[in-house]
Amino acid sequence: MRGIPTVLITVSPEVSAQMRPPRAISPKGFRIGNSLGRPGMRDLQKRVLRDALNTLTAPARPGEVVEIDYPEYGG
Amino acid sequence: MTLLSRKCVPFTPLDRELSKCTVALVTAAGVHRVDQEPFNIADELGDLTFRAIGGDDAIADLMVTHHHYDHTDADQDINVVFPLDLLRELAAEGMIGQVAREHVGYMGYTMQLKLMYEQTAPAIAEYVDKKAKADAVVLTGG
Repeated sequence: MRGIPTVLITVSPEVSAQMRPPRAISPKGFRIGNSLGRPGMRDLQKRVLRDALNTLTAPARPGEVVEIDYPEYGG
Repeated sequence: MTLLSRKCVPFTPLDRELSKCTVALVTAAGVHRVDQEPFNIADELGDLTFRAIGGDDAIADLMVTHHHYDHTDADQDINVVFPLDLLRELAAEGMIGQVAREHVGYMGYTMQLKLMYEQTAPAIAEYVDKKAKADAVVLTGG
């Protein structure tokens, strides 16, 4: 079987980091169940997805979980 | 001290531009179609099966069965864990080539980690390779 490039969006960065994923982003402070943001926050959700996809072509940081701030998510 | 996996990081380079890629979603958030058998939340060991979700399936026909995270928000807007609508938009905008014709939902909770790792995960990978024919995969949890 060939390898398939993956990128993970995780809201549990500590847990995910233990598995050393090939590519992973973690939206900072998002709660479990809100991987891409809150309901109806279409623009934010899309930004998160775009950032995840862009990780596929960014310089490799295998095994690292990259935290990203999205202030519009709110506390 | 955090315990890190000692397995080799399974990094596969992307061999083409994003705008030419077929992208699939694989979610551990317990997403499936309403007409599919729900995940078995009665079994304390978890559920090792997965469900195929069509790239053209209506968002309104998807639901979540998972008892290890609060999916109230996903019930309201499934894009918060399974961004199929958004992926379609990004394909229309040309950021990605196309949305894969098949995607995968499973319930990311199990007490049978070995079986999940040795059987379910390879079966999902095989599915993504052969049926979804995806060049890249976005993974999400709950």
